[in-house]
Amino acid sequence: MGSNGKIIRKKDLNIWQKAYLTEIFKGLRLTISQIFKPKFTYLYPEVRFKPQPSFRGRPVLVHENGTERCVACGLCSRVCPALAIEVQASETELEKERYPIKFEINMVRCIFCGFCEEVCPEEAIIMSNEYELVFTSQEEAIFGKERLLKSTEEMKDRLEFLRAHR
Amino acid sequence: MEPRTDEVARKSKILQALEDQNTSVTLDDPLENDMILNMGPQHPATHGVLRLLIRLDGETVIGCVPEVGYLHRGYEKLAESCTYHEFIPHTDRLDYLSPMNNNTAYAMAVEKLLGIEAPPRAQHIRVIISELARISSHLMFLGSLAMDVGALTVWMWAFREREKEYDIFENIAGARFTTSYTRIGGLAQDVTPETLAMVKKFAGELPGYLEECERLLNKNRIFLGRTDGVGVISPEKALDLGLTGPGLRACGIEHDLRRASPYLVYKDLDFNIPVYEGGDSLARYYVRMDEMRESVKILQQVLEKMPAGEVHAFKPKKVLPKKDRVYTKMEELIHDFMIVNFGVEPPVGEIYSAVEAPKGELGFYIYSHGEGYPWRLKIRSPSFVNLQSLPTMMMGGLISDVVAIIGSLDPVMGEADK
Ligand code: SF4
Ligand code: SF4
Repeated sequence: MGSNGKIIRKKDLNIWQKAYLTEIFKGLRLTISQIFKPKFTYLYPEVRFKPQPSFRGRPVLVHENGTERCVACGLCSRVCPALAIEVQASETELEKERYPIKFEINMVRCIFCGFCEEVCPEEAIIMSNEYELVFTSQEEAIFGKERLLKSTEEMKDRLEFLRAHR
Repeated sequence: MEPRTDEVARKSKILQALEDQNTSVTLDDPLENDMILNMGPQHPATHGVLRLLIRLDGETVIGCVPEVGYLHRGYEKLAESCTYHEFIPHTDRLDYLSPMNNNTAYAMAVEKLLGIEAPPRAQHIRVIISELARISSHLMFLGSLAMDVGALTVWMWAFREREKEYDIFENIAGARFTTSYTRIGGLAQDVTPETLAMVKKFAGELPGYLEECERLLNKNRIFLGRTDGVGVISPEKALDLGLTGPGLRACGIEHDLRRASPYLVYKDLDFNIPVYEGGDSLARYYVRMDEMRESVKILQQVLEKMPAGEVHAFKPKKVLPKKDRVYTKMEELIHDFMIVNFGVEPPVGEIYSAVEAPKGELGFYIYSHGEGYPWRLKIRSPSFVNLQSLPTMMMGGLISDVVAIIGSLDPVMGEADK
């Protein structure tokens, strides 16, 4: 059954509460007591927010000793709900046979959903912890391979998190 | 530009003729004493882009027509060209104050269509995230209602609590706002024990903070004056208009889908459904305050019961396979490709599945032709339906109460406009 507490309505107030002045002082006491509590906010540019490994920042490509893991299968670009990824495949002499000759993510389109990371069969694209993305033009926001690639060491936290929790 | 001289001459001639004959001109005003006021869509107090056309007699509202659609993004149509998986991020953007609830509702609808179920751990986590989202939505309500009637302090306090919740969401899902956390057949990722500890801490502390807010509001003459007996709707009318959620429960009708048709693990949990009489803004405020406390109770119980295990159902061809299998096994790799490229293919048929979202009944109706895309996806969004009852609540009220009534109904336009 429902819980039926009583609603305090206007007619239920006693004379002091109706007079309001005492209530103002009670309220002020409550708000002033907040001053002595620790600060909840932080001053942003000086103090920066440190994301957890679970954080989905901008997507990056992972490389191992300079070779990207990506095999240009195009799955990430298929799943991307924002149509932000463009992959062009080419062949290589390496064991993986294929690599992306062109890999672009439009960071203005990206909605940081993490789907690309979720479907990639090579653990080649993952979400980093970068959240400060500022651009002055549309072109600048299209990240090519040179800006997307990060080494496995740099992305260690996220990779470990993914292995443990996915 | 100079007016044409012949026109000026003509006009002065008419005027002269009127003056000469001592005529008087009366104009029929179709509105008589009434005034039409256009409120929104950019009004800061209409909670998004809601536009209201209000007809006033003096200061009394004698007519009101809500106009929606300023945030229409065509999600129902868009869904027809998305695979079931691709549509998940779009559900975040319906009721953006409780994205977790939308994620859960959508995933459950597709699961019902596919005839699968998420594993127990995933179901428990879904209850946790739904209740956290309910609290965050109601905190937003608390803050904005208080602000609408002039109390800014509570807004700040409510936002502080919401911020803590967003930290939890960030740990659970990786994003604070657009979570996209549930998947068909499970969840995107497992939660860590530290996150569960955070939830526990939050649930333990919240009632204290709520009480602080209540001490500022419950016996405040101004707050009561602005909400007591304002925006009344009768239970019969509320049922007729399809009002659901806290608005309906404030009319004395005990209807909550968590009880009426239990989903997830709600039937094993012990909680009350707060019901109040009166159907006014004050009753709606009381219902929501109590609901937050009930949510805390639910959170604590679920944390106790949390089972171990997978968060992803093992259903090849229906649910995305687990990552470590994709890396090592050919079969799973193929499934990964098939599901992403062509979508999961549910049987032909239609389903309707609804959950109790913070604002009312959030339902998804899916009609499938057996393809990877829904043939039709209809979203029964509570805010859209609840807005219907706004004119009834406003009728006879004062213009200054309009804002407070909208605040007490708590619509979210992202959801109302879809
Ligand atoms: S990043 Fe992964 S999913 Fe995308 S093309 Fe490369 S291998 Fe395929
Ligand atoms: S995070 Fe989402 S939107 Fe961004 S590139 Fe990946 S799939 Fe596309």
